[in-house]
Amino acid sequence: MKRQSSLVSESVLIEKLIQRDQQAFQWLYDQYSPALYGVVLRIVRDDEQAADLLQDIFVKIWKNLDGYDASKGRLFTWMLNVARNTAIDSLRARKTQPASAIRTDDENVHIVDRQHNTEQPNPEHIGIKDIVEKLRPERKQLIDLVYFGGYTHEEAAEKLNLPLGTVKTRVRAALQELKQLFN
Amino acid sequence: MNVTEYIASGILESYVMGAVSDQERREVECLSSIYPDIRHELDQLSEALESYALLHSVEPPASVKDKLLKQLDFEKPEEKENDPIIRPMPVDMTTESTTTGLAFRTTWAVAASVGLLLLLFSFFLLSQLRTNQKTLAATRTTNETLQAEMRKLRDNQNQTSQALALLRQPGLRTIELQGNEKAPQGTMLVFWNTQTHQVAVDVRSLPALPANKQYQLWSMVDGKPVDAGVFEATNGNALLQRLNRSINRADAFAVTIENRGGSPTPTLSTLLALATVNT
Repeated sequence: MKRQSSLVSESVLIEKLIQRDQQAFQWLYDQYSPALYGVVLRIVRDDEQAADLLQDIFVKIWKNLDGYDASKGRLFTWMLNVARNTAIDSLRARKTQPASAIRTDDENVHIVDRQHNTEQPNPEHIGIKDIVEKLRPERKQLIDLVYFGGYTHEEAAEKLNLPLGTVKTRVRAALQELKQLFN
Repeated sequence: MNVTEYIASGILESYVMGAVSDQERREVECLSSIYPDIRHELDQLSEALESYALLHSVEPPASVKDKLLKQLDFEKPEEKENDPIIRPMPVDMTTESTTTGLAFRTTWAVAASVGLLLLLFSFFLLSQLRTNQKTLAATRTTNETLQAEMRKLRDNQNQTSQALALLRQPGLRTIELQGNEKAPQGTMLVFWNTQTHQVAVDVRSLPALPANKQYQLWSMVDGKPVDAGVFEATNGNALLQRLNRSINRADAFAVTIENRGGSPTPTLSTLLALATVNT
């Protein structure tokens, strides 16, 4: 994969980015913006809002690069967390507004499905996507709730009407399964 | 600690999913930096989630990249763009700084006004002081003049009372002496008390003398001149010039010009005036 081959020079890339190198930024954007945009789109489910958020996210990444600590985690993971947190915060801010109704679980599933269907097929990942389809639905649902929905374990347990212990076990099992699938 | 157990606890999975508390997050970060096994597991889980996220990749609109390239400042490491989250901050700071600036300006204006007033007041005080000093100097001069005049008057009065005391005494004889051809304008009075034997002269007009000369009065007794004392060409401030000689008898009085201090015998060539005492 292109991403993995680039990891060798990740520290060089970060150094160039901190020096405000435009080429490095373009490379970073080209490399990661589809993934980040996909995640944001999956969280907020609105093209326009997702585009605005993506812009905010890259500005944040640009600002806070010197705050990124390579010893604490991978760059892409860090960027994903910035994207997730920004999108989830925006979603929560909107939810607190009385005008927008809280979606029911059924609606959520429907929107997720719709989003899934309208998603642009990424040829590079089609093979892997087939593998993910093998992921047990209840595990996939939990990953989507927690990772893309920003749900805590407690919230997820309440939402899915499951004991907290089951949710925790299932999250671990889901991640382990993902790990097996990709490695 | 048991690393295997920790890895199996599920905390790492919760961590990569972003579903841990701040305390748990710090704990995972700390332990992963200590135990390579934890770090390895964490990296694998992160990679798995990264891959999962990549599955959902969607090409974003091209406009986002264009906006970012315009918005971000390249080649300027120190410059900080307005982050949307902290955007309200500079606004707050601006209003705050303007209010503090306004307050500062007001304070400054008040301070300046007070300073100006103080300056004007001190100028006023200074001019007052100068006026007072001038008045004081003038008063002092006047006072000195008055004191001098008073001293002069007291002296005059002393002289007058002395002269009067002299003139009041019984047995006083007044002899008027007229200048001869050597001093035609010369005129003077000799007061002689026949009881106290005191002699005084009142020079009305006599020619001025060189510094080494003095007039000398002589009393003529049986045709012989007796020294009656020296005196000056003018009385000065005094009314009379008292001569410190005691004259018992005198038929006449004469005046000559002698060396300062007087002579034992008169220089007849310098005789100026002569007058007999009427008996």
